[in-house]
Amino acid sequence: MVIPLDGLEYHPSGGPDDRHGGPAVVAKSAPLWVRVRKNHWTTRLIALAAFLVVWWILTTPWAWNGDKPIMLPLYLPSIPSVWNAFIRANTIHPIAEGVDREVVGEYGYYLWQHLLATLQRIGIGLFFAIVIGLPLGLLMASVKIISVSVEPYINFLRSLPPLGYIGLLIVWFGIDNTSKIWLLFLAAFPPITIATIAGVSGIKEDQIHAAQSLGASRLQVVSSVTVPAIAPDLITGIRVALGFAWTTVVAAELNNGIPGIGGLAYLSGTELKTPLTITCIIVIGITAIVLDSIIKAMERVLTPWRGKA
Amino acid sequence: MSRDKSLVVDGVRQFFGPKNSRVQALSRTDLVIEPGQFVCLAGPSGCGKTTLLRLIAGFINPSEGQITVSGSEIIGPGPDRGVVFQSPTLYPWMDVASNVELGLKFQGVSKDQRRADSERYLQMVGLTDFAHRRTYELSGGMQQRCQIARVLASDPEFILMDEPFGALDALTRERLQNELLDIWRKTGKTILFITHSVDEAVFLGSRVLVMSPRPGKIVFDEPAIFSKPGESIAAEEIRSLPAFLELRERVRSSIQHSH
Repeated sequence: MVIPLDGLEYHPSGGPDDRHGGPAVVAKSAPLWVRVRKNHWTTRLIALAAFLVVWWILTTPWAWNGDKPIMLPLYLPSIPSVWNAFIRANTIHPIAEGVDREVVGEYGYYLWQHLLATLQRIGIGLFFAIVIGLPLGLLMASVKIISVSVEPYINFLRSLPPLGYIGLLIVWFGIDNTSKIWLLFLAAFPPITIATIAGVSGIKEDQIHAAQSLGASRLQVVSSVTVPAIAPDLITGIRVALGFAWTTVVAAELNNGIPGIGGLAYLSGTELKTPLTITCIIVIGITAIVLDSIIKAMERVLTPWRGKA
Repeated sequence: MSRDKSLVVDGVRQFFGPKNSRVQALSRTDLVIEPGQFVCLAGPSGCGKTTLLRLIAGFINPSEGQITVSGSEIIGPGPDRGVVFQSPTLYPWMDVASNVELGLKFQGVSKDQRRADSERYLQMVGLTDFAHRRTYELSGGMQQRCQIARVLASDPEFILMDEPFGALDALTRERLQNELLDIWRKTGKTILFITHSVDEAVFLGSRVLVMSPRPGKIVFDEPAIFSKPGESIAAEEIRSLPAFLELRERVRSSIQHSH
């Protein structure tokens, strides 16, 4: 519902205060400060512009500074050089200036191939995290002995920094993809298990009773009540798990991580290719935001009752 | 009435809490509910009414004694005893019609038959236009009607209702009371209806029970205005009948004396 109000539009619900920065509609003619107040996207654009201006000021050669930028390119490369690194990483280009030999992207792969390799690992790791983490959570929620004996190990695992045990995983599973997927799996499954347990304990007892009184068997109670009832918590768990998996991606791809966006970020950093490192960081960050938005959208589509019942 | 289809509460006592500091919720209770009765159980809150209902529903097991239906002991919830809860336990992940069909689905009834049944019961409770709405889009009164339709559709022998209209406004409450009475007259179901309202108990019941608190004990048990499902009098008439007023007064005083 949108009520016109003095050229602006008033939103009784959602709208301007929507924390997702939703589709707040503000009259184009409104002064900037009103738009900033009413529309998160305007605010975000201004913040981004301010950020880029500061970056530009820090990296542009200034006459008063002896024609040198305030920060040397090794520490903070200029915006155009990061852009160039992004282009180079996506094209076939000479290996170095004045050399005839041409190479593909970076380290033999285009940037999107690095990203895709990482997404595949995360996808597989997350898949197994759900396949193992969900039933484990259900078991732990319903069988006391399992919960009491397994819970400390999950908390133990959860507290470990992934860098601490990647070496061990490599010894166990080799330096190729398997150890990386294991790491991502180990990062992703505890949040899913914990969310499942929380979901089950949040089910109202009478919702189970109601199904039983309608003649549901044990299995029917699980499929008709338990699983849908924990769906909102489960999706939240998957969202957290995906976030964890992303933050461990560089650790996973530290060794033999090419192709892989995390490996590329790490390797380019060790070789002082700062523009490429920054390109990777930006791509990793934006991909994380996009993935998170996808899960949030799934949440709205799959569990529309969330928070309403 | 043949006793074989009756619900028999036989020497049931109920305690809660750990052994050394246990609380008696229900003192020794004996009760026979005959088929077709509309039994209203009234009493102050916390007197053990709900405990008795949950025992009959099979959600908890009696500390002592046993409850039988048609001679066989109740050991858990079952589709022969439908429950209408105080706060609606509809499933928000299904639409209204699917909620109503759920019992039939559990019993393995075919989809077409389920649709037909749910349409019939939704019509009975006046929710036909809301069949494909989500349950959280319904008002409180509509949710209770949906819950009643869900229980009716699964065709239980007993309907156990735990203060189903307690949270509703007076007007909605009165309308639903009339609808429920109508449904009882049409279907002849056996109903155990729990309420803290004396008026509601005397108006609805074919038999009125009163429970005294701490520990719960049935202290009043009399037939009410209607003794059979077939009889039909308009709601306003019932409330002005001398018999109604007289019974209401006696139930009220029995509750007051039991404190």
